[in-house]
Amino acid sequence: MKDKKEDQKHKENQEYREDKKVGVYICYCGGNISDHVDVERVREYVENLPEVAVARTNMFMCSDPGQQLIMDDLKNGTVERVVVASCAPSLHETTFRSAISRAGINPYIYEHANIREQVSWVHHGDQATEKAIKLISMASAKAEQLSPLEPIRVNAKKHATVIGGGVAGLRAAKDMADCGIEVALIEKSQFLGGNLAPLDKIAPTGESAKELLSTLALQVLCHPSITIYAGSVVDSFEGYVGNFTLGVKQVEPLPSKAADSDITAEADISDIQKTNETDKYKKGDYIPFSGVFAVDDADFSNRSDSQNLSVSSNWKSHVIETGVIVIATGFKSYTPNIGEYGYKKIKEVITLPELIKSMADSLNSGRLSSQDSFTMQKGSACSGKVRGLEKFLEIDGRKIRSMAMIHCVGSRQTPGIHQENDSGQLNEYCSRTCCTATLNAANIIRERYPSTRIYDFFRDIRTYGRGQEEIYEKASHNQVIFFRFEADEPPEIIESRESQSGKNFESNSQLNNFPICVKAKDVLTFGEEIEAPVDLVVLATGIEPNDVSDLVQKMKLPVGADRFLLEVHPKLRPVELPVSGIFLAGTCQAPMDIGESCNAAGAAAVKAAAMLAKGYVELDPFVAQINLELCNGCGACVESCLSDGALRIVDIKADGELIKRAEVTPPLCLGCGACVGVCSENAIDIAGWTLRQYEAMVDRIVAENILAVIN
Amino acid sequence: MDKTAMLHRGKILILATETCAYPGADSVGQSHSSYPSNTFILRVRAPVLFPEQFYMDCFRKGISGIIIMSCGEECPYEGAYKALAKRIDRVYQLMKAAALDIRRLRLTAICTVCNRAFLKEINQMNELIDEIGVPINEEAEL
Amino acid sequence: MKSIQTTTFDVMVIGGGIAGLQTALDIACQDYSVAVVEKGASIGGKMIRLSKVFPTLDCASCITTPKMAAAAHNDNITLFTCCDVKSIKRERTLSTQNISNSISPQNNNTQRNRFVLKAVVTQRARYVDADKCIGCRKCEYECPVLVSDVEQGGFSARKAISIPFSNAIPQIAVLDADNCMLCGKCEKICPTHAINYFQESYDFVIQANSIVLATGYEMTSLSDKPQYGMGKIPNVIDALQMERLLAPHGPYNRVLRPSDGKEPDSIAYIQCAGSRDRSMGVPYCSRFCCMYAIKQAMLLSGSLPLAEIRIYYMDIRAFGKGYEQFYQNAKAMGIEFVKAKVARVDAGEDGSVTLQYEDQNGYGMVTMNHDLVVASMGVISAWSPKGICNVSQGLDNFIHTINSKLSPTLTDMEGVFVAGAAAGPKDIVDTITEAGSAAIEVSKYLRYLYGKERGLKPVSTISSLKAVA
Repeated sequence: MKDKKEDQKHKENQEYREDKKVGVYICYCGGNISDHVDVERVREYVENLPEVAVARTNMFMCSDPGQQLIMDDLKNGTVERVVVASCAPSLHETTFRSAISRAGINPYIYEHANIREQVSWVHHGDQATEKAIKLISMASAKAEQLSPLEPIRVNAKKHATVIGGGVAGLRAAKDMADCGIEVALIEKSQFLGGNLAPLDKIAPTGESAKELLSTLALQVLCHPSITIYAGSVVDSFEGYVGNFTLGVKQVEPLPSKAADSDITAEADISDIQKTNETDKYKKGDYIPFSGVFAVDDADFSNRSDSQNLSVSSNWKSHVIETGVIVIATGFKSYTPNIGEYGYKKIKEVITLPELIKSMADSLNSGRLSSQDSFTMQKGSACSGKVRGLEKFLEIDGRKIRSMAMIHCVGSRQTPGIHQENDSGQLNEYCSRTCCTATLNAANIIRERYPSTRIYDFFRDIRTYGRGQEEIYEKASHNQVIFFRFEADEPPEIIESRESQSGKNFESNSQLNNFPICVKAKDVLTFGEEIEAPVDLVVLATGIEPNDVSDLVQKMKLPVGADRFLLEVHPKLRPVELPVSGIFLAGTCQAPMDIGESCNAAGAAAVKAAAMLAKGYVELDPFVAQINLELCNGCGACVESCLSDGALRIVDIKADGELIKRAEVTPPLCLGCGACVGVCSENAIDIAGWTLRQYEAMVDRIVAENILAVIN
Repeated sequence: MDKTAMLHRGKILILATETCAYPGADSVGQSHSSYPSNTFILRVRAPVLFPEQFYMDCFRKGISGIIIMSCGEECPYEGAYKALAKRIDRVYQLMKAAALDIRRLRLTAICTVCNRAFLKEINQMNELIDEIGVPINEEAEL
Repeated sequence: MKSIQTTTFDVMVIGGGIAGLQTALDIACQDYSVAVVEKGASIGGKMIRLSKVFPTLDCASCITTPKMAAAAHNDNITLFTCCDVKSIKRERTLSTQNISNSISPQNNNTQRNRFVLKAVVTQRARYVDADKCIGCRKCEYECPVLVSDVEQGGFSARKAISIPFSNAIPQIAVLDADNCMLCGKCEKICPTHAINYFQESYDFVIQANSIVLATGYEMTSLSDKPQYGMGKIPNVIDALQMERLLAPHGPYNRVLRPSDGKEPDSIAYIQCAGSRDRSMGVPYCSRFCCMYAIKQAMLLSGSLPLAEIRIYYMDIRAFGKGYEQFYQNAKAMGIEFVKAKVARVDAGEDGSVTLQYEDQNGYGMVTMNHDLVVASMGVISAWSPKGICNVSQGLDNFIHTINSKLSPTLTDMEGVFVAGAAAGPKDIVDTITEAGSAAIEVSKYLRYLYGKERGLKPVSTISSLKAVA
């Protein structure tokens, strides 16, 4: 009795409602639904719901005939709101929305009832049928309240900004410029090339880093659509996709990168001299270990005028209006802690980047003076010819008879075993590139200096990429001696110099003539203790993201637990961020090699190109909307807002009086609804997801009259 | 449970986030696990949308239990989870004031593949409401 | 002779797996028209057949289906399924486009030098009229012939006429002519009269300005490996078969071993079962096997909490973002990692599998029994350009790229690019980024071509740079 009364009341209420005719379309899903849900009984019931004009069924609602049913009903005015009851909305919500669009109707008058994944596959018998009825009834109640929405169209400037002038940044800049986009490239140092510059020959194909970099950097420098802001950083950030505003400020010249990494005392001095000599560089010059000089003559003269280089007020600042931003801030090589494997305590312990530079230096010293000497010929032609009969590698004039290379320094760190850095962090990740780089260096040394013996201490050899396994095979072939260690039992570096000071290091026959002994337990030979006497220890240091905390703060970028910037989805959307219009390229996102960085840069560039192709960007219309009549301008919503600038209180004129009201900047609104929950006046809602719609759905859940009808 | 018993069983409202818990519920479906049908899942962008009063209204209308299945720390809206947790604390205060058992409202995090956790939450809430009944009775008794 | 139809697109993508779809989407979003040519009956490639993906453990089909749907629904993308590419040629052509008067004579010269890529494509017969089929599956329910279902790792049966798999796109039935006994039942039941036993294969031409090879990978066969029983030992399966056992919509809905339906208590993975092995012709690393073995081991320990799971490996190559942490989690979950190359696999008692390997603790050759063994086979190229076009292959048979550092998707044939596992084994995320990278190369190339055609100033070229340098 009570049910019927309520039902009556319901029907009466109905008459006062705006007449929004809902069409309900129920899918059999070829038995997936109809095996458990009595679809025809559901149809009969829901057709009796007050707001429902028509309810139809189909074997596959997503098939063309199924979609046609909906389109026909919309076209001839039978229905004005659509509910499809089928599989999960993730599968076919867009299918049906686009069918509605094809019928010439606004696609946002659509609501989905999930009666497969959330009904027929999890409930059985009558319960499944009843639940399906409830879910459709809820969807229908919501559908009745839906109104047409328009996507937010934001005009987008056909301009992109790339932050970072390493290989990823250069590639992204060139790619976008080649697609007809004006590009601004901001680089902190005065050089282009980033971490590519300090490299020599690149594994596995042996290209010269100089050639790669010169080609790419010159293409960028000469591109008519690319403006380079060298020696500059981002100072301010505001705006949203299509319309970002960046403040760019020149900073005082950084010492060149080689000096940055603080290699040896001698290197320091020469690099400082180099820095002072930057006056001599012309834009486009290739400077070994630093990159391609990128400062304009104009900037250059400007700088010469100012006597005091540290007075930053003399430096220019710019404002860039841009449509998209590509972040390519790159990585830095891990610096071992003092004493980690003896680093900085024992002078014979160096890092792999230091080894690469030393090798190049030792090859160049005294032989050729021009910068061109840096270019090494392809293949291993250097060894015999260059050094004559010399069969040993020499570092700083010391003959290296035997050396150890230790992998995973600053990578794959394990809590409880490795020492955290000053900020309490561990690099738990694998740095991806060091195994191949280390073995590549080992091969070069073994081939050029066959008398130099190499011991390689590794955890796992990760030569995963195309052509990389061959480098590993070649290293074995070159008689590099491999020892495997476990994280909790790393090799020990023992100085044996004290005991034999003054002895002649030149005789290599005696074991104790070596300054260092590397002790380890070799897992490959069943845990045998081994001792390797060496002249040099090379640490294969990993990759750490550059410190971009200022950018992270200014642009509100998400950062992962590993301190790399965090993409939206690690599998399918690796170069995108939750903030529309900002993309990631290269090693700011994760360790990558050069090819992978270029791929990531290309992927970011294509996303940018697609976004800017039309001159405008369309965004979801699910954003906050304010009912100005209810709003009292209290500002609670602004306080609760999670996106800076999406909500603010403005003065508006009403009846000649200035009053305070909330205002939404739709492109910045995330549509999360944090503001809805705090509004005391119910004056704010998310379009398409209103509180009233939810309340109507809850009313349908608790309504008991459903059974009265079906029984 | 026979049909009539099922009909009188209290209803559970589930607020499931569209990025995590809602696909998680779909994933339970894909694995063809079964769970009681007195559960009603509302797809939400972020549960932070609902004001305190929404929860109180639900209980007043006769919903026996509410499970908020959020994305937890993986929430795509930075700061939303914290705001939500604060909101729920206030709802608990209101529930206490209205002599409602606060166990009727649970804040959890369910990811897209948390099938077991999803089922566990539903079963626990069902055990609870089978034990303590629908909230209207509770208030009536007072 | 039948006249051959030609359809024209800006770009043709060969392969409708995740690499091809992502490339197509990234190009189509810039308003270029794209043809996706897929040899199978559905797009989605290997990814749609997986259970979950590492390291997120997202359901593969849930994240692939939206991509497939996006491609299928994109107005700029046309899908061609059941199609093989017979040949690709660069041909000189006179543009049929009306050239505006503003173009100078000089530009007309470049016009005459214009090349296009012409691909002859064979549309294989489905014996079902694709335009009429509504995917209702009535034929499938009616068909009396049961055939081993490769889509389910051969563990269950399908009908001789069927929709390839539940979330296939397009949802069009395919008749398996080798197994059909022409009983006529499907023809009678079909509500739209879509069955056509007399349908024939035919050739057509796709003309495009650029082509992307996204032809993916295959796995070496267990039957190639004498030491591992030539595929004859029951309960030795490959990893793609295990994906099906683990998939929510898999053949048994849970993990059972195939020979007797027993729930396995002890499962072993043999890593590098077909890679890093010159004897198998696969000296290179297959790159993603370590990660899928770890992923499958984790999923197995979820569905079979009491089972012992062991991974025999040479090096664990967990090099991608979050992969090392994933590996450490697996170790912490109790999955056993044994560094050893398995030397022999034999059939044991009661359906068990016996492995022999060299123990690293010095116990010499050790023999171990497992209920189920998964071999991580080698990843090999799925497609060869030989006899089809002038794109060269590397020694590893994957497509050769000419600038692997700065432009990793360039092949040695102008206008032809490569993406994904076609250029070497690659996991999903690396494939996705490479697809984007190929898409930008295509966009640049098209802009360069069309720009020249429309008399626009070409974008920077190397020669213009040399002058400055």
